[in-house]
Amino acid sequence: MIRTLLQLLPADRRRLAAGHAALTVLGVALRAAGAVLLVPLVADLFGPDPGGAWPWLGALAAVTAAGWAVDTAAARIGFDLGFALLDNGQHSIADRLTRIRLTWFTAAHTATARQAVATTGPDLVGLVIYLVTPVAGAVLLPVAIGLALLPISVPLGLAALAGVPVLLVAFWTTRRIGRVADRTAEDANTALTERIVEFARTQPALRAARRAEPARGLVGAALAAQHGATVRLVLLQIPGQLLFGLASQAALVLLAGTTTALAVRGDLGVPEAIALLVVVARYLEAFAALGELTPGIETATTALRRIRAVRDAPTVSIGASARPGTATGAPRIRLERVAFRYADDGPQVLDGLDLTLEAGTTTAIVGPSGSGKSTLLALLAGLHQPTAGRVLVDGDDTAALAPDERRALVSVVFQQPYLFDGTIRDNVLAGDPGAGEDRLGHAVALARVDEVTARLPDGERTAVGEAGTALSGGERQRVSIARALLKPAPILLVDEATSALDTENEAAVVQALADRTTPRTRVVVAHRLGSIRHADRVVFLEDGRVVEDGTVEGLLAAGGRFADFWRRREAATGWRVVSAGGSDT
Amino acid sequence: MAKRGFSGVVIRSYGARDHEVTVVGKESLAPHFVRVRLTSATLFQDAVAVPTAWLRFWFPDPDGGESEHQRAYTISSADETTGEFTIDMVLHEPAGPASLWAKRVEPGWTIMATSLGSSKFDVPEEPPAGYLLIGDSASIPAVNSILAAVPVDVPVEVYLEQHDDADPLVPLTPHPRARIHWVPRQGPASLAAAIEARDWSDWYAWAGPESGSLKHLRTRLRDEFGFPKSELYAQAYWYYGRAFGKRRGTPEPEPAAAPEPAPAAAAPSGPAVRGAWRAQGAGRLLAPLKRTLILSGALQAVVTLVQLAPFVLLVELARRMLAGAAESTLWTLGGWALGLVGAGTLLGGALTLWLHAVDARFARDLRRRLLGKLARLPLGWFTARGSGHVKQVVRDDTLALHYLVTHAVPDAVAAVVAPVAVLAYLFAVDWRIALALFLPVLVYVMTMTVMVVQSGARTALALRWSERMNREAAGYLEGQPVIRVFGGAAGSTFRARLDEYIGFLDDWQRPFTGKKTLMDLATRPATFLLLIAFLGTWLVSSGAMDPVSLLPFLLLGTTFGARLLGIGYGLSGLRTGLLAARRIQTTLDESELQVRAGPAAAAAEAPGTVVFDRVDFGYRPGVPVIHGVSIVLRPGTLTALVGPSGSGKSTLAALLARFHDVDTGAVRVGGHDVRDLTADELYARVGFVFQQTQLVHGTVHDNIALALPDASRERVEAAARAAYLHERILRLPRGYDTVLGPDAALSGGERQRLTIARAILADPAVLVLDEATAFADPESEYAVQRALDRLTAGRTVLVIAHRLHTITGADQIVVLDGGRVAETGTHDELHAAGGRYRQLWDAGANRTTARAEATL
Ligand SMILES: Cc1cc2nc3c(=O)[nH]c(=O)nc-3n(C[C@H](O)[C@H](O)[C@H](O)COP(=O)(O)OP(=O)(O)OC[C@H]3O[C@@H](n4cnc5c(N)ncnc54)[C@H](O)[C@@H]3O)c2cc1C
Repeated sequence: MIRTLLQLLPADRRRLAAGHAALTVLGVALRAAGAVLLVPLVADLFGPDPGGAWPWLGALAAVTAAGWAVDTAAARIGFDLGFALLDNGQHSIADRLTRIRLTWFTAAHTATARQAVATTGPDLVGLVIYLVTPVAGAVLLPVAIGLALLPISVPLGLAALAGVPVLLVAFWTTRRIGRVADRTAEDANTALTERIVEFARTQPALRAARRAEPARGLVGAALAAQHGATVRLVLLQIPGQLLFGLASQAALVLLAGTTTALAVRGDLGVPEAIALLVVVARYLEAFAALGELTPGIETATTALRRIRAVRDAPTVSIGASARPGTATGAPRIRLERVAFRYADDGPQVLDGLDLTLEAGTTTAIVGPSGSGKSTLLALLAGLHQPTAGRVLVDGDDTAALAPDERRALVSVVFQQPYLFDGTIRDNVLAGDPGAGEDRLGHAVALARVDEVTARLPDGERTAVGEAGTALSGGERQRVSIARALLKPAPILLVDEATSALDTENEAAVVQALADRTTPRTRVVVAHRLGSIRHADRVVFLEDGRVVEDGTVEGLLAAGGRFADFWRRREAATGWRVVSAGGSDT
Repeated sequence: MAKRGFSGVVIRSYGARDHEVTVVGKESLAPHFVRVRLTSATLFQDAVAVPTAWLRFWFPDPDGGESEHQRAYTISSADETTGEFTIDMVLHEPAGPASLWAKRVEPGWTIMATSLGSSKFDVPEEPPAGYLLIGDSASIPAVNSILAAVPVDVPVEVYLEQHDDADPLVPLTPHPRARIHWVPRQGPASLAAAIEARDWSDWYAWAGPESGSLKHLRTRLRDEFGFPKSELYAQAYWYYGRAFGKRRGTPEPEPAAAPEPAPAAAAPSGPAVRGAWRAQGAGRLLAPLKRTLILSGALQAVVTLVQLAPFVLLVELARRMLAGAAESTLWTLGGWALGLVGAGTLLGGALTLWLHAVDARFARDLRRRLLGKLARLPLGWFTARGSGHVKQVVRDDTLALHYLVTHAVPDAVAAVVAPVAVLAYLFAVDWRIALALFLPVLVYVMTMTVMVVQSGARTALALRWSERMNREAAGYLEGQPVIRVFGGAAGSTFRARLDEYIGFLDDWQRPFTGKKTLMDLATRPATFLLLIAFLGTWLVSSGAMDPVSLLPFLLLGTTFGARLLGIGYGLSGLRTGLLAARRIQTTLDESELQVRAGPAAAAAEAPGTVVFDRVDFGYRPGVPVIHGVSIVLRPGTLTALVGPSGSGKSTLAALLARFHDVDTGAVRVGGHDVRDLTADELYARVGFVFQQTQLVHGTVHDNIALALPDASRERVEAAARAAYLHERILRLPRGYDTVLGPDAALSGGERQRLTIARAILADPAVLVLDEATAFADPESEYAVQRALDRLTAGRTVLVIAHRLHTITGADQIVVLDGGRVAETGTHDELHAAGGRYRQLWDAGANRTTARAEATL
């Protein structure tokens, strides 16, 4: 945790962190001195001449005031570090996110990453001041008191020092067991309620099948059977949670007993012994403070764990080479024995795929779901990197290219068109911020964005809202097509929307593919006949392998998988709901 | 500063900033009601324009004196980015500084305003049954902002006290479900008396009337109607016969309150009914545990006291040692101490065990009740809530209850008992030092208050920010592929937003670092120690105190501050648990589907006949979605429901599958009212295929044979073949015996076909179908369509149609508009008729009714 924390600090603040640590130690020492000053002070109060306590009080006041001053300075630095953590930490995560491999972003990781950027801010600010400082104080103070006690009474000082590790271990164990208990309770609850949630989720199906009552009986019985076992599991955790309380109370009794015994044996005067009882209470106070910090420690460790998860996530490897300046026009793309899987232990999505896409051609990738079409597109786009094999553009290995060079190669129309919060115009210009009005106008017209803007009062200056939500799905799609067209990249990749309700955009996609103003090599993952018809070549993919490859006419004539696909698509387009008459095909 | 008097100083010490505000215009909204348009460059750095938000203005003395008068006015509209806003002001008689200013004001005038302690009104995610708004012309701006925020389908009752004949001319924000009542003021009791005596269960009340009226209102709303505290917001907006605000400058003369005209005895409008609120649900749910919880609380109190006892024993030990007691008495004390420690630990452990046992039993019963409830709720309840809500209630809320019972209650008791016991003990020993211990606490509380007040709107803003950052971060993550391909600009808005957020946190929190350090220093043990040591030395050396009395303070007094401040934290755990309990109770209170013991209807009609008989239906009372719809579906025919989204076609179809019950009229299947049939009887006749598919945990075979668990493999295979799924199933690792799960997953279209196979096997006479099902997945569109052909053949089919071209062959097309039947006929008839259907046909140009209601 400390390591993560230090990593999050900007380099120029590391020295400050050292200063903060020094001040914290000094503050603790002053507090310990204050505690031990109680010995002569209290001893005087209980002795024959209470007035003798005044100088000691003066000393206590001086030490306490010095403590305030030191701690104020430490707090100032602590806050400063907190704000530095906030600024640097948040930015470094945001930067990091753009370099993490896309395959890392599972639902769970995405949630972690979102929380790491969005919600850890306030926790970071208070991290040093509310957590690091107090925890360090709570651990160091008893040690310091133990040391300060040595000159007064060696046995007591030693006992106090010996108690520190014992109590810390007890504290740590209790906290751990408490956490395990919480998790056990949570798991038990999840196990018990999962079936109820499932029962609720499937209500329509169960009722339609007249199975709701029997299913309820089954779930009920299963719950009853599971109940006892889980409860026992939870109960087993309880004794451990009492450990710390027991240990600190026992320490109190033991230390007080030692003091008393010393007094009884005459090694200590009675007033000194009483004073030492007070110091013992001070000593234990620190551990109690540690207990109160526990919820804060939990929050902070959660925050840091999230941040660390993002920082430790695998990043894409980055090349450094540039494409030769002579490379202009549409490139030839070659996939050489490309293999890919999403997780190390996951199934091979692509396995040894060889494919060459000639310069300036348009290729349609067709195939059933799960055949690897979108993966192939992502590999071409550089969003994923092959687990084996190479993707070559005009003979250059794309993995060796510098990020900017790699990015300049491709433009993509995504299925889920993400727009950022800005105007329609800004979003299209993201494709090429330096584009002139004529090129912009051309892209906008080709993608039929002009039809959209004509309907809007603010035209192309209309704000698209957060994540583009002010536009309909189809409108967003068109903006994203215009954006892709505007980008002067020699490779254009189109992932056609699967949602059948978006047919209005089919024409826009077709026009985009047909646009010849920029020389490009084009690849489209296609579902609709309209966009396939425009391809020079069709590659039919199944289980990550090319099973058919040829022109539309050629493959149709061959009567294989593609012809089958084509026929079904045609039939599906004219489908009508029928009833009594039966099927009309 | 001087001219603002004491309250000015207080406000200043809260750090509230004065903002200069310039008048840019004024218009009259009613004879005695003006809108003043204002602008300020800096105000909205502090203020947030949310419903009912208000500002404190410092109005000049009308007599030209030095002093300024503070009066509150509501922000009636605002543009936070430009800093322009308006306030609406009543010109009342007798006038005060504010109303006089309003009368005279001209563009160009300036005035100072602060945003401090403003309020805000939020509609919760699950709105109350209705809003009861009470006020008068002065609170109309606030009432208007509330009316604008309340969803259109929530009823609102507005009671406004009338002082002036022109009051009803003041414009009110229109709300379709608002009813306005003007109540002439006859005295402070007349407004309260005018509130209708009815059952206000689950309503929320907001009141901003005159102070005297408010007193009576509180009694009526709280004591007579039973409004719980959490569901009632009340604030006096002015005092009858007395200036309201503070003044700064000359000392404030206490004005003699003008005698109020003798109240005409206003008789309350009927006997009051006490309502019941969801907000009180937690209490009901936990009622069976009440005695247990009280007992456990008492036990925990004992445990806490026992845990403090060793410190008291230490004091006694010291006393004995000083008195030179025999060694043996000291060891007796030691024995006691050990015994107490052991007893405390044992007792604490036993208490925890016992609570866990109690909780386990309670949780088991609760889950059983929830299960029973879920089986009897109308299906519409599930579709309206989604799986997230169900999970929240069933999983998260039951877990929260576990913590409430086993941890939160004991923690809260311990947090309260410990400081109280310590305090009592210390006061008993020496009240002077005990009193002094409050000094650091006071410093803490005051600093805290200042911080809270200074934060003002920022606390609410921080919440908004965190919600917003969550959304933005989600978008940024989702947009990663786009950002990586397009780089730069695509990701820059997120970065800009992140910078803004960091800037906001920095601006807000950095100025507080000094105060936070002060709070920390004031309450740390070292500070208490010095305080105690100082007073002790003083009192002991002057002989005013026995030194032994100092010991309890040295032992227990140092952590007193921390303990006291821990109370708030200890109690916070209760809140989460109670909210969870409330949600669970709300679910348990939902009304269930009833099977009427109807007459064993002579089924005069063929089993496949469906009749909608003058059906009315609404999701909320008073907001009908379906109006008097009558349709007959003949056996074996296809009826299509078409209409723009929101026309009620999905709702109407859902009524046939009894996802909801009709309000009036009836839906009959084969002559039986669907409400007279048990669920099993109904679904033996009516099946449905919607876009959402639900697979139950089990094998493929089990899933298809859901309705006929004993069906033979042959029949299951036949159904799968008919649904074009047989081949695919054979390719699964274990064929029909494959347990569906993450390793053996089906695609969307395949799941769709499995649902269809299930319906084919169940073989209902009547089928409700969402046409969008056929296009849900382009990969297997063709197969799904063939499967549907098999399913629909020979049945009475009611289809929700999104694309008109798919239903041109229907026997009957019903065009819905605004929940009413607009037209009925075949495609050719309707197309020729040139009515609503023709419009839809032409508008769609045989395309799609794009953003169709895909779900119910
Ligand atoms: C949170 C809050 C928000 C408010 N928002 C608005 C708002 O948006 N618009 C608005 O007009 N008022 C609003 N008020 C009410 C306004 O602040 C008071 O009416 C205020 O007392 C007016 O000040 P004054 O200087 O005109 O009269 P004062 O000096 O306070 O009083 C002079 C005399 O006028 C009488 N009087 C005061 N107010 C009224 C009244 N409303 N009707 C009849 N007699 C009255 C008093 O009883 C007294 O006899 C709000 C009050 C609060 C607490």
